[in-house]
Amino acid sequence: MALTGIRVVEIAGLAPAPMAGMILSDFGANVIRIDRTKQTETVDRLARGKRSIAVDLKSKEGANVVKRLSSNSDVLIEPYRPGVMERLGLGPDILMKDNPALVYARLSGFGQSGPYKGVAGHDINYLATSGVLSTLGKYKENPIAPINLVADFAGGGTLCSLGVLMALFNRTKTGKGQIVDVSMTEGAAYVASWLWRSQNLQLCWPTKIRGRNLLDTGAPFYNTYETQDGKYMAVGAIEPQFYALLLKGLGLTEENMPGPQIDIRKWPEMQKLFSDVFAKKTQAEWIELFGDSDACVSPILTLEGAATDVHNEARGSFMRNENGSYEPRPAPLLSETPGITEVKSDPNIGEHTEEVLQEFGYSKDEIDHLIKNDVVEKL
Amino acid sequence: MILSGVKVIEFAGLAPGPFAGMVLADYGADVIVIERTQSAMPRPPSLARGKRSIMLNLKDKEGIKVANRLCQNADVLIEPFRPGVMEKFGLGPDELLKNNPKLIYARMTGFGQSGSYSKMAGHDINYLGMTGLLSKLGREGGKPTAPLNLMADFAGGGLMCAMGVILALLERTKSGRGQVIDASMVDGASYIGSWIYQTKDAPYLWPIGDELGKNLLDTGSPFYDTYQTKDNKFMAVGAIEPQFYQQLINGLGLTDEDVPGQVDLDKWPETKKIFADVFRSKTQSEWCKVFDGVDACVTPVLTLEGAAQHSHNQTRKTFLTNEDGDAEPRPAPLLLRTPGVNYVKPNPVTGQHTEVVLKEVGYSQSEIDELIKNEVVKSETVKSML
Repeated sequence: MALTGIRVVEIAGLAPAPMAGMILSDFGANVIRIDRTKQTETVDRLARGKRSIAVDLKSKEGANVVKRLSSNSDVLIEPYRPGVMERLGLGPDILMKDNPALVYARLSGFGQSGPYKGVAGHDINYLATSGVLSTLGKYKENPIAPINLVADFAGGGTLCSLGVLMALFNRTKTGKGQIVDVSMTEGAAYVASWLWRSQNLQLCWPTKIRGRNLLDTGAPFYNTYETQDGKYMAVGAIEPQFYALLLKGLGLTEENMPGPQIDIRKWPEMQKLFSDVFAKKTQAEWIELFGDSDACVSPILTLEGAATDVHNEARGSFMRNENGSYEPRPAPLLSETPGITEVKSDPNIGEHTEEVLQEFGYSKDEIDHLIKNDVVEKL
Repeated sequence: MILSGVKVIEFAGLAPGPFAGMVLADYGADVIVIERTQSAMPRPPSLARGKRSIMLNLKDKEGIKVANRLCQNADVLIEPFRPGVMEKFGLGPDELLKNNPKLIYARMTGFGQSGSYSKMAGHDINYLGMTGLLSKLGREGGKPTAPLNLMADFAGGGLMCAMGVILALLERTKSGRGQVIDASMVDGASYIGSWIYQTKDAPYLWPIGDELGKNLLDTGSPFYDTYQTKDNKFMAVGAIEPQFYQQLINGLGLTDEDVPGQVDLDKWPETKKIFADVFRSKTQSEWCKVFDGVDACVTPVLTLEGAAQHSHNQTRKTFLTNEDGDAEPRPAPLLLRTPGVNYVKPNPVTGQHTEVVLKEVGYSQSEIDELIKNEVVKSETVKSML
């Protein structure tokens, strides 16, 4: 696989760092998650294929275990507030002196510097600080964060993986690792670069008022509509030729419409007109009616519905896990060295403590000593 | 820079392909955009910083030959067309990888290269609708609301495509071979949202999972949402953990007796209203003074301009200033030894680099003149635009 042979030490965190670890694992890396001792449950829901070793990081011997692991690893990912790893004696100065080829990824909300560094926060705060949150939401409603997708996962975990991969790529030329400072605030902004770069495009941002523009629920032809059976359809008919097909499918003509497609003053009225029409048929009827026409009208599926949709099934977009539920298959698809195609199980905390220590050269006596002194725990 | 020496041929598209190209350019790749001479829609120049532009007539056999030659010397190709279009041009992966087996051929589409929707037109909102994620986004009593085109076009699209390219480049250092990347925005957006699928049955996250906007992180809870201030700005509240929630209550000047318990779900609407009233009593900057440096997870909702001005972001140099004096995000993440660009390179004029790029792959001036004469390629210099 693409990352076969790459060893990753992931210090357990909430969701962003686990996402980065999962992506690397999905593409073949050997990911070892360092869990805390004295706990039985993990919050990591992105743990498939990882191995778990439980270590008391607060003890010097525990820190030494992590040092030894990282000196023989390629990547370390840590999710703590700036300074915490340093306090544990595991800062990049120390670990990279020992292993200059180490890629040391630091995933935080606000980054390793700046006045907000170390302030507690969550996705919604990072998104707010990035400027992006101010653009999301309907007219006259408060800004709405899309759960925790944009900062935690897009600008956080995924961008962290991207940074790690880039550093690994650079290392093939230079032999040297480096620190990757991933700030979810910056990540969210960067992923949304287009928002800043497109501000002078009249077509996209006619009003600069949230919820009254082309792609932010202002336009009737780029919106969602409820169907007769309480489900929804997505409409993305921006281009004139697609818009014409949309009208046709809805049984409307240009003459019926209160105004031409881009008359923004008539958008609220057009939205109401479309709403009324969509409410007259069920989701299934609309799917059938629009078929595979280029009207850019498609169903809004539920999480379960997406997994079993005929298109997604044909693509194997979702994998089934041992509980019978579905999870997305790694993206993108690489033709020669794809990611996993089936779900490996989540580790229990400490399930691989002994195995991992042995792999890193600890003798049986050394391992027994560590367990006896509560430096590490096994399942 | 990380991608110095990596040559990317990007076939011009709308947003996802260009964003992937921009990420690669930002980290040092030489990205050449092939724009079509007979393009119906003018290319929005929004994601072209640092790229070079050549105009080709892809409907002309000679134009295809030029494209072929460019791809033979390339490391990466990014194309945004519906499945089959590149094949029709004679530029499909089988063709190009035969002559250049180290080529990384990235195909950026909404629905992917296969499946019943693969030939259908669509946009971000359609792709996001297919993932299941869109059904979870929106306020109570409302309809699913797509977060602009961030999740499918950019996160699950361009970003995922760029990541696939880096993965393939890394793999190529071992195998010496390229491969085809099928970057589907439906797949990409779903994958980024993996955690949502994994946690959908967790009662603390989705207590009323079937309904929009009534859960922990989807604006259902009073301590994970935005609130309007006296001056019609907003504050973001993300006080999930009990100790942060306590600081939130304190900062709002409330006591435990004033509000229902944090996890009293039935009273969440009531608590929300109480919070909303309190937030409306002060301006955004007054609230910032109250909460700055406090672990309450309460922060201002900054505008696009405001974010560029904010002291934290200024210290971090999160934003660069372009030649128009406007701010745009600096490439993330920060690789300390080999970072991305730290200034904004200009957008190319369409066709600005036609001649220089052709020369780089061995065309003589007279060959180039012939191609221009026959409208196989078009060249625009900055001068000719004045």
